[in-house]
Amino acid sequence: MTTARNDNVVVRSLTQIGACGIFLLTILAAIPRSFRHGRETIRQIWFVGAMSLTIVMTCGLFVGMVLGLQLYDVLSIFGGTSATGTVVAIAIYRELGPVVTALLFAGRAGTSVTAEIGLMRATDQLDAMEMMAVDPIAYVIAPRFLAGVVALPLLAVVFCAMGVFGGHLVGVTWLGIDNGTFWSNMTATVDVHKDIIDGVLLKSIAFGIVVSLIAVFQGYTTPPTSEGVAYATTRTVVASSIAILALDFVLTSFLI
Amino acid sequence: MTQRRSYAFGTGLFIVLGFAALAYLATQTTSVANASQGSSYTVETHFANIGQLKNRAPVKIAGVRVGSVQAIDLVPGKEEAKVTLSIDDRHKDIPEDSVATIFTSGLLGDQYVGIQFGQSKTPVKEGGEIGLTRPAQQLEEMIGKFFGGGSAPDRLGGTFHVTGSFTNVGALQPGAAVKMAGVPIGSVDSVTIKSGSSEATVTLAIDKRYSQIPDDSAGAVFTSGLIGSQYVAIQPGGSPTFLAEGDQLILTQSALQLEDLIGKFLVNGSPSDNKSGGAQGGTQPDNSGKK
Repeated sequence: MTTARNDNVVVRSLTQIGACGIFLLTILAAIPRSFRHGRETIRQIWFVGAMSLTIVMTCGLFVGMVLGLQLYDVLSIFGGTSATGTVVAIAIYRELGPVVTALLFAGRAGTSVTAEIGLMRATDQLDAMEMMAVDPIAYVIAPRFLAGVVALPLLAVVFCAMGVFGGHLVGVTWLGIDNGTFWSNMTATVDVHKDIIDGVLLKSIAFGIVVSLIAVFQGYTTPPTSEGVAYATTRTVVASSIAILALDFVLTSFLI
Repeated sequence: MTQRRSYAFGTGLFIVLGFAALAYLATQTTSVANASQGSSYTVETHFANIGQLKNRAPVKIAGVRVGSVQAIDLVPGKEEAKVTLSIDDRHKDIPEDSVATIFTSGLLGDQYVGIQFGQSKTPVKEGGEIGLTRPAQQLEEMIGKFFGGGSAPDRLGGTFHVTGSFTNVGALQPGAAVKMAGVPIGSVDSVTIKSGSSEATVTLAIDKRYSQIPDDSAGAVFTSGLIGSQYVAIQPGGSPTFLAEGDQLILTQSALQLEDLIGKFLVNGSPSDNKSGGAQGGTQPDNSGKK
């Protein structure tokens, strides 16, 4: 990074954001070239997506279960336990599904992408590629970015399905809400456009872009030291989490 | 190479799983009926009271959702709400004399607009109006009805006004019911005392559907039940001419005061003593013959 040490926080943050934006344009320009390395993209989808399935499914199940439990407890005060399914589904689709998946994704996949690229930088592999006339943006960065953008919506959808299943498990199987009531109230209220397309898909695609961009950017601009890699990995998680939650508010206020 | 193939296989499996989950969410946890089905047309309605009706509330025919409330405005200068309904194009055949009513789904549920078909062969057109409406039922009115009090004045026909003078209206309030043969036919519009008079002037708004009330009918202030609210009962007379807008009820009977009744009972001992006792004609027409 070319930023001087004595610049203040505002200048440094703006410089980072600006560099990040330019980096995004560089990646987008390199995406057509990266299709020559299609196998690399598929390998990355496997790595950041399929390998994250276990954690995402487990967390989705538990989030759905705890929501079912809490909502049943609160709604029983008003005699409205039949609305448990509805509220579980809407809460998961609109907020928890995309947001929690994105946070898990930043921790599980974003960090390893940052660390991998950072180590490539630290061990001069990226420079070596350039020497061999292999564009590191097209071969290393763009496939990882694309993989994140593709994988996160799929993970979020799986998370939501597991969450609804968890809510059903607790609400119907355990607490004895009527099975028909649970589903019919849910289907009567959940809207395909507002909840699934706007809620799950649009949000998670936006989060996928943001998290992947932060992860590859932090890795690519790592200071080539072991300390730098550690620091970049931490920054990926912190910056992604803040970006996800802030963007979530902005998106929600537009979509609602 | 086997390593690479396993990546590709796993990735494919992951993507298929993701889309399967999406299909599951979209089909199993939502209802296709909720999605807006293409084009729709708008119909205007006017309500005296919309209660808690909100934009996007459902419009239902026979309980089936056919559209939604698009806009709610106040008609300028009137105490009347204009509700614009957006109805799906597939339901083009709503008779133009249908009745739009605001219902509540369940005791605590949201309110929606229900359309009950009329007899007309002409369907309501795009931008047309469903003229016959019933306003939202307010809980207070329902309780009032339970105690025999007033029902919400609906817009099914419009009203005409007649007045009557009473020496005592008891606890009669504007909005109380006007009944004939126990059936609500209108409501009390106002209870005032005219200057220079010691009698209460009660203006009754009576539904135009009940226009054939003989003009020598008597008006009486009754109480429904022991703790019920008071209402005006019309006791039809025998005249061939009917009451019209602005007419006055000649014969009126004032409210019975519970205190008077108890007093009479104590003083007179038994009802059979009525003739010799000092009972004032509380149950007699007060203003007989006065015009």
